Amino acid sequence: MSRPYIDVEGLKASYDGEHLALDGVDMDVNENELVAVLGPSGCGKSTLLQVLSGLLRPVAGTATIAGMDMTRSNSDRPRVGYVFQDHRLLPWRTVAGNLRLVLDASGIPKADWDARIDHYLDILQIGQFRDAWPMRLSGGQRQRVSIARALAIDPAVVLMDEPFSTLDEVTARTMRQQLVDLWQESSRTIVFVTHSIREAIFLADRVVILTRGPARLLEDVAVPIGRPRRYEDAEITELESEIVDRVMGVWGYEEPAAA
Amino acid sequence: MASSQTASTAGPLLRPGRRWRSGGGSGSDRWFSALGLLSFVALWWFGSVTSDFVPPIGEVLDAIPTFLTEEDIYGDIADSLTRVVGSLAVAVIVGFWAAYLMARGGFWGLVVARYVDLAIGLPSTIAALLALFIFKRSEIGVFVVVVIACFPFVAITLRQGFLSLDRRLSEMSGVYRFGGISQIRNVTIPHLVPFTLASIRNEYAHAWRVVVIAELFAVNSGLGWRFTQAYDRFLLVDVALWLLVFIVLLLGTEYLILRPLERWVLRWRGGAL
Amino acid sequence: MNAASTPATGFDIDVGPVRKALAFLAAIALGVIAWQIATWISDGWIPGVGEIADATVDSVVAADTWDQIWITSKRILIAFAASTAIGVAIGFASGLNRKAEAFFRPLVVIALATPDPLYVIIAILVLGTAESSGVIALTLALIPFVVTIVHGSVKARESQLDEMSAVYRLSRRRYLGQVLARQVTPALFAAARTSFAFAWKIVVLVEAISQPRGIGSEIYEQFRLLNAAEMIALALIFIVLMRLVDAIVFGGLERRLLAWSR
Repeated sequence: MSRPYIDVEGLKASYDGEHLALDGVDMDVNENELVAVLGPSGCGKSTLLQVLSGLLRPVAGTATIAGMDMTRSNSDRPRVGYVFQDHRLLPWRTVAGNLRLVLDASGIPKADWDARIDHYLDILQIGQFRDAWPMRLSGGQRQRVSIARALAIDPAVVLMDEPFSTLDEVTARTMRQQLVDLWQESSRTIVFVTHSIREAIFLADRVVILTRGPARLLEDVAVPIGRPRRYEDAEITELESEIVDRVMGVWGYEEPAAA
Repeated sequence: MASSQTASTAGPLLRPGRRWRSGGGSGSDRWFSALGLLSFVALWWFGSVTSDFVPPIGEVLDAIPTFLTEEDIYGDIADSLTRVVGSLAVAVIVGFWAAYLMARGGFWGLVVARYVDLAIGLPSTIAALLALFIFKRSEIGVFVVVVIACFPFVAITLRQGFLSLDRRLSEMSGVYRFGGISQIRNVTIPHLVPFTLASIRNEYAHAWRVVVIAELFAVNSGLGWRFTQAYDRFLLVDVALWLLVFIVLLLGTEYLILRPLERWVLRWRGGAL
Repeated sequence: MNAASTPATGFDIDVGPVRKALAFLAAIALGVIAWQIATWISDGWIPGVGEIADATVDSVVAADTWDQIWITSKRILIAFAASTAIGVAIGFASGLNRKAEAFFRPLVVIALATPDPLYVIIAILVLGTAESSGVIALTLALIPFVVTIVHGSVKARESQLDEMSAVYRLSRRRYLGQVLARQVTPALFAAARTSFAFAWKIVVLVEAISQPRGIGSEIYEQFRLLNAAEMIALALIFIVLMRLVDAIVFGGLERRLLAWSR
């Protein structure tokens, strides 16, 4: 059996050196899959992404992408695109400037930069903001820039940490759809962290559900719903309530006990 | 003395740079500003009438043309200007390192903090007299006095800058593999720029005031020296003229150079914080 | 992971109180060593630490020193009180009223751009060399700083609370006392503390230039006589004293006054 593209085994990680955020998480992601990681707030979903991106050293366990160990810093590690919850654009650089910086850091030849910048800004429909300052853009536009930045470096994986949770619902809906379109066109491997069950189901091929922190794998649910999906689809609602039932007890929302 | 900062030894620092908003304002506001200016003129006139020693405005204004054509006034202006700019530059550099060490904390940070504290609590006059004594009448004396007076304020402001460095952007640059130098250049330094500019703007005015005091005692050139010369020789029109020169120079360079420069460098801010 | 700001790593390292005390001592020790080196380099022109210590002891026990300090302190007190009172009044007026703000703006700008010695010169020209001219010069020099701080804080007040007061029709007195005063109290305190801090620094200049008695003039006198050790001794005594007053009076007040806001 071939090795999964992203392979996490027995991962234990802490963000403050004292408390474990992840307590032995196992997860597989195949190439070109869009997998959602679902969990209650504060359960360590972000920590999982941080380990995968090489930001955080785990306490135990392994995390590999395309066979390469992400927990050791060496320059052969595959490139990772990361979309944070807050855009994390450098406000003192234009949109294009921000992209140029990561292109440079990723070792992509200078000659390709302009073409890439134009291409990715266009498919995210923010081409006209190429030379704009990030502070002048709306929240949704900034997140698009952040996504364009993640894609422009041709990453092996795109990690997304609740990227739409700070946006208003209408913008978020648009972005979700756009993300799915982008993913289908360009075949990328995406790991998408969220605390919204519906969002997870709408977007993903599979939903990896974590327990509360310190987190473990609770369930790995396949989403058998055909694409294209609509956010209000009955099938999504159905799956959503199934999942809700399963996780309620585990995530800590007990039914009041009989007296 | 710094214009909009507390000078208390350990007190909290108000946000830098909240000066009076210049320019703009509705029409009636301008009238009141003009009225304010007029009251200044009125005060002057009142002073010249009640005292034999205050030169009347008319006399002073008349003397301006001949004054401006005197060759050697520009030498003194240049001297003072060089001292201000030069020592401010040194103060910023020293203040930068002091701020970095203080922000890091630890043992040496505390030691540096003590020196910053000491420097804030040293009256410029005493520093000027000491500098005159130690360095005799050399330029170094003036520089030392101004640097000692200004660097602590730069240090305090920049320390806030360092402490407000946010992990979030450095995480982003970690994920995208920026590398040490690139991170300093593209994340750390730009973050510190607004703080640096604010402290430069504040300490610029401060430096001018201290330079004058230093020149009063410690050297034989510059605006401060000119003030004493004119005052000692009872050339009161000259005193008024040099005061005008000082004010025009200070305000002119600040509003025509410093502030526009700051606005341009920080143009990425837009309307947001 | 929350979205609030998280400080960068590597900063704000904390050390225990023992090391804090050690750092203080280290700072003093380094300063003393550096000074002695300077003495050595200058061949004794710069007085050594021992000399300065002797002079300090002599000055502390001399009654005249304390006479001078008392004279200076009176001036500081008057100037501090007057400038704070006037400055707060103007600051409030211009913070609350746009016309007042426009009126005072050019005056404050010019005042901030006027070097301190000029205040002394002008005061002498107008009032002669009377005792009062020094104090008045000092007061005038301090006012613009107080105004700037108070004005800034009044303007920075939350306009939402203004709106709330209007909706609930709070009387002017209630509004000033309950809503506005509470918000600006920290800045008022800062303005007073700043005024005092500048007062004792600028008074040295004022006295050096113009007054026959007082610590500042005494320091200048010793300087003219090239008694460096005595000059430094007096300066040390004065500075330490003023900082003690600041720490005790304002430090204590700060804890009491602002405790509710923490």
